[in-house]
Amino acid sequence: MKNSNVGYKSTIDKQTLLLLGIFTILMVFFGFVEDSFLTNRSISSMAIQLPEMGILSLAMMITVMIGGINLSVNATANLSAVLAGLFVLQVVPQLATDGNGGALIVTIILVALLVGVLTGVFNGFLVAYLNVPPILATLASMTVFTGIGVGLTKGQTVTGFPDALGMISSQSVFGIPLPFFVFVGVSIVTHVLLKYTTFGFKTRMLGTNPTAAKFSGINNKSITMKVYVMSSMLASIAGVLIMSRTMSASNAYGTATYVTLTILIGVLAGVISGKGSVINVFITVLILQVISTGFHMLLAGVKGSAFFKDFVWGILLIAIFIINYFSRSRNKE
Amino acid sequence: MTSKILQVKNISKSFAGVKALDQISLTINEGEIVCLVGENGSGKSTLVKIISGVYSPDNGEIIINDHSYKKLTPIDSMREGVQVIYQDFSLFPNLSVAENLVINEHLSSGKKFVNWKEFDHIAAKGLAEINVSIPLDMMAGDLSTADRQLIAITKATLAKARVIIMDEPTTALTQKEIHSLFNIIMDLKKKGISTIFVSHKLNEVTEIADRTVIFRNGKKVMDQDAKTLDIKTMEWYMTGRELDKSGIQFSHVNQQTEPLLEVENLTLQGKFTNVTFSLNPGEVLGITGLLGSGRTELALSLFGETPANSGEIRIEGKTVSIKSIQDAMNNRIGYVPEDRVIEGLFLDQSISDNVVVRVINKLVNHLHLINPQSISQVSNEWITRLEVKTPNGNLPAKSLSGGNQQRLVLAKWLASDPKLLILNSPTVGVDVGSKASIHELIRNLANQGMGILIISDDVPELMQTCNRLILMRRGKITNEFKRETITEELLNKEMVANRSGMVQ
Amino acid sequence: MLKKTIKSNEFITFSIIVLLSLIIGIINPAFFSLATVFDVLRASIVPSIMAFGLLLVIIAGGVDISFVAFAALGAYGTHMLLLHYGYQGGILLYYIIACAIGLLAGSLSGFIITRFDVPMFDVSLATFTLWYGFIRFFIGSAKNFQIPEGAVGYYAKFITTVKDPFVGEAGLHISVIYVLVIGVLIHILLKYTTLGRGIYAIGGNKDVAIRSGFNVRRIILIIYMILGVLSAFAGVTQSFLSRHFEPTLFMTQNLDVIAAVILGGASINGGRGSVLGTFLGVVLMQLINRAMVLTGITVEWQELVIGLVLTIFISLPAMRDRINKKTRHPVEIPDEI
Repeated sequence: MKNSNVGYKSTIDKQTLLLLGIFTILMVFFGFVEDSFLTNRSISSMAIQLPEMGILSLAMMITVMIGGINLSVNATANLSAVLAGLFVLQVVPQLATDGNGGALIVTIILVALLVGVLTGVFNGFLVAYLNVPPILATLASMTVFTGIGVGLTKGQTVTGFPDALGMISSQSVFGIPLPFFVFVGVSIVTHVLLKYTTFGFKTRMLGTNPTAAKFSGINNKSITMKVYVMSSMLASIAGVLIMSRTMSASNAYGTATYVTLTILIGVLAGVISGKGSVINVFITVLILQVISTGFHMLLAGVKGSAFFKDFVWGILLIAIFIINYFSRSRNKE
Repeated sequence: MTSKILQVKNISKSFAGVKALDQISLTINEGEIVCLVGENGSGKSTLVKIISGVYSPDNGEIIINDHSYKKLTPIDSMREGVQVIYQDFSLFPNLSVAENLVINEHLSSGKKFVNWKEFDHIAAKGLAEINVSIPLDMMAGDLSTADRQLIAITKATLAKARVIIMDEPTTALTQKEIHSLFNIIMDLKKKGISTIFVSHKLNEVTEIADRTVIFRNGKKVMDQDAKTLDIKTMEWYMTGRELDKSGIQFSHVNQQTEPLLEVENLTLQGKFTNVTFSLNPGEVLGITGLLGSGRTELALSLFGETPANSGEIRIEGKTVSIKSIQDAMNNRIGYVPEDRVIEGLFLDQSISDNVVVRVINKLVNHLHLINPQSISQVSNEWITRLEVKTPNGNLPAKSLSGGNQQRLVLAKWLASDPKLLILNSPTVGVDVGSKASIHELIRNLANQGMGILIISDDVPELMQTCNRLILMRRGKITNEFKRETITEELLNKEMVANRSGMVQ
Repeated sequence: MLKKTIKSNEFITFSIIVLLSLIIGIINPAFFSLATVFDVLRASIVPSIMAFGLLLVIIAGGVDISFVAFAALGAYGTHMLLLHYGYQGGILLYYIIACAIGLLAGSLSGFIITRFDVPMFDVSLATFTLWYGFIRFFIGSAKNFQIPEGAVGYYAKFITTVKDPFVGEAGLHISVIYVLVIGVLIHILLKYTTLGRGIYAIGGNKDVAIRSGFNVRRIILIIYMILGVLSAFAGVTQSFLSRHFEPTLFMTQNLDVIAAVILGGASINGGRGSVLGTFLGVVLMQLINRAMVLTGITVEWQELVIGLVLTIFISLPAMRDRINKKTRHPVEIPDEI
């Protein structure tokens, strides 16, 4: 909630309650109208899809928290996957053939993270040191990152990975797929970083008032740089998950909708400059996934059913704008 | 010149039960320059807002051009020829001078199309009328502050203003610019246009006013011919007490110890040159001067925001290099900015977080994680020590009043245990009571051994707090005074003398 | 006056176009032909029309990503509707219906923005997913290649054609006229109407615009109506030029149009931008595309080159400031008294 002071004392803010409410209503609704909704299979299928979007949303969130935006999250995820894929296939092909799954996965993750650092530095340099408005800087870098990937792959999808790569996505613990645990883990780390480290503290301050932050001795440029590097590294992790789920790497994954969705999730979760909650983002991602899976099951067999959820998301977002507007004007009185 | 343009009669206005204006009556005659003087919260800006139609009075009457109003709308007010020039000048930075000048007029005409030739023609005529030449096709955002103000004044005259209200118009002007502003106000007077000049700078008031009106606590306490008023009398009416500072304890500064800060030949091109002074521990040094004198720039250079080009800074005898704010902080230099809201506080964050922002790096446990308990411990300590009035440190800083916000900024800096504290206009916008206690606090800090630099043009404030004073002019130190050898009258005189010397 | 022209953003963009053309021409003389001009113009038609609408939003200090959805909704919606009734007539009815749909969709966005005080960008996020979802669920999710009889030859209606030794016959498509007409209209709107000046005023300082008496809500609503109409118009034009209708028309191209407007010298912070500059920005983007083909840079590296050009372009102001800072006085610091 943009202007609420009410939630300050309690640990749970109003937006969290609102989101939990929406989540509960949706679960009950789909549980009633669709028998197979609350089954293990359905839940595990949800749990395998949402981590990618969730981690990308966190990547978006931290840049929004310092008054920025990162339009290149999806391009970064794809480029990380493409470069990691090309590296293991072409530079160290023995890794792929040896059948050493562990080493393969570790290499892929390391290369992807390295790409994350480099792309993050690129964005951070433009935003922090050249003072390019973030929306423009990351629009340009999105094109650059995609351009590198397209150039190297000639626009083709990179395939031919050993089965070991699929391990990340196919493994489950207690019936819940591994990617979901990755998402939970990444969320916890991000939460701790933002809430319990000086980096997170300074990030919040910078987002609230950059001038006061400067006069308080916070090194704004360095924090901005770190935020963009962290954002890109999160995107790279998402890239590895996508790679493992699809057993391939391509610059075309999610280009039409992923970036829009991550911003949409941020807006729904109430992320603004100086304020952002990992918990709210987490719940929002769950909500979107429930809507997606729920309507998919409900409308099974209907033509174009996969797109009904897009329509609902748009409506939901507008509804949140209207609710926020009225709660804002009530707070003013 | 007895024709009355504007009269307010028995106006009162309360906000949430607090009387902001109490039975105010005031008359403005044609071509008269009236200065409205008063401390913050005295009611002068409330009166301006009532005259311009922003607020409606609880009771009373406003008579403009013989039309009587129980309450005004902004449009009524403008139609009657009342124009307010706000501190932001209400200009569009991306539009040309001509367009800025004519746009309001054009809008009220209801025309759907724009005739650029006509715009240029009207704008040129308007500027010529007050003898100003500014290229019509320049973007307003590219103009200097003084030029933007001139545009705002021209805009008001083009709107056929009969009364122009200027809200603290000299705040961001240099001496030369103030001088030409005053010339323009005199020209307006000759044309029969009245000016209401809202200010708290008494030396300016004595220079420009025909009549001075002083407000205190929502009441008009004085209304008389400016020529018969001196600054001391005005102060007395503003504060309602004799400014007697004999009761303040000045500890004896030990001159034998090594100076805390030594500045030698410090120069920042275009801002100040060859500044040399020193400061002992426990000493409060005031740096004063008029706008453009380089005093704020000097402070910002010592704080590393705009590092000096040449010269030397020594702290406790050691030469230090201050190239960034981080450098300054590593040398335990603190800076309390003038603009609390923009430069000092994180209004949407909690009071506690504001207190600890400087020391957050120290409030971590062995895992380098922030310990929330340490935060509340440190913040509670400072909230108590500086008497920041709040029910809960978790409330956002914006919930505090002006004086408490100023204490919070101080708390933020004191928490970091500085050796040298630079305070820029520490009590601007603070009520009289808080002002006195902030002055006491400054003295106490000095008595505990901290070195303090105060940048201020508030003469009584300087007299109350400083052991020593430096007067700057055009980027150079022109004079230095010991507290024992200077009086308020003398310092006032020095500052004014300094000004007239500059104008010629 | 001359100095001012040279410093203007339009001039910078124009210079880059000239320079780039010269370089390509030297490497490959085949570039200097009317056929190239026609080709670049044809590719610029549709993005220009959308960019003109978006320009208004950007001048007013907003950003929008949903205009492509207006285009898809207008074009695909109209087509499926008329197809349903077996319409076989000309293109005019397409334009009328599509523009009406665009007007409605734009008005809805404008209403949400002004009534509930939501930033334009945020609303455009919602309507972007909403409309593409709506189209594909309620209207159809497959491409359609049926063209009404009355409009079959439209894609090759040329004002004039030339014989070119390299590409054969090349023509200047008649829809270039739309760009010209719409461009002139928007230019007049921005430069010579009170409404247009209001758009600049809002982008310059919204609070002052309100205080000065501009009806800011009404202006934003009108901007969105124009954006809706122009986008739908562009959608229909594109569909007939490419001879098919698709539900996800332009879905991934919104950022390209934003980039073109920025390359044309509009400020992302609002208050600055022009029709001529925007057109040049679009042409520059298209030229970069052609340049790579003609200079032998393979297609797959095109995107990277566009990205790098964009990066350099947006970094220019920062670099200019940096140089200025070094030569001019240090930062001016506001003082009191």
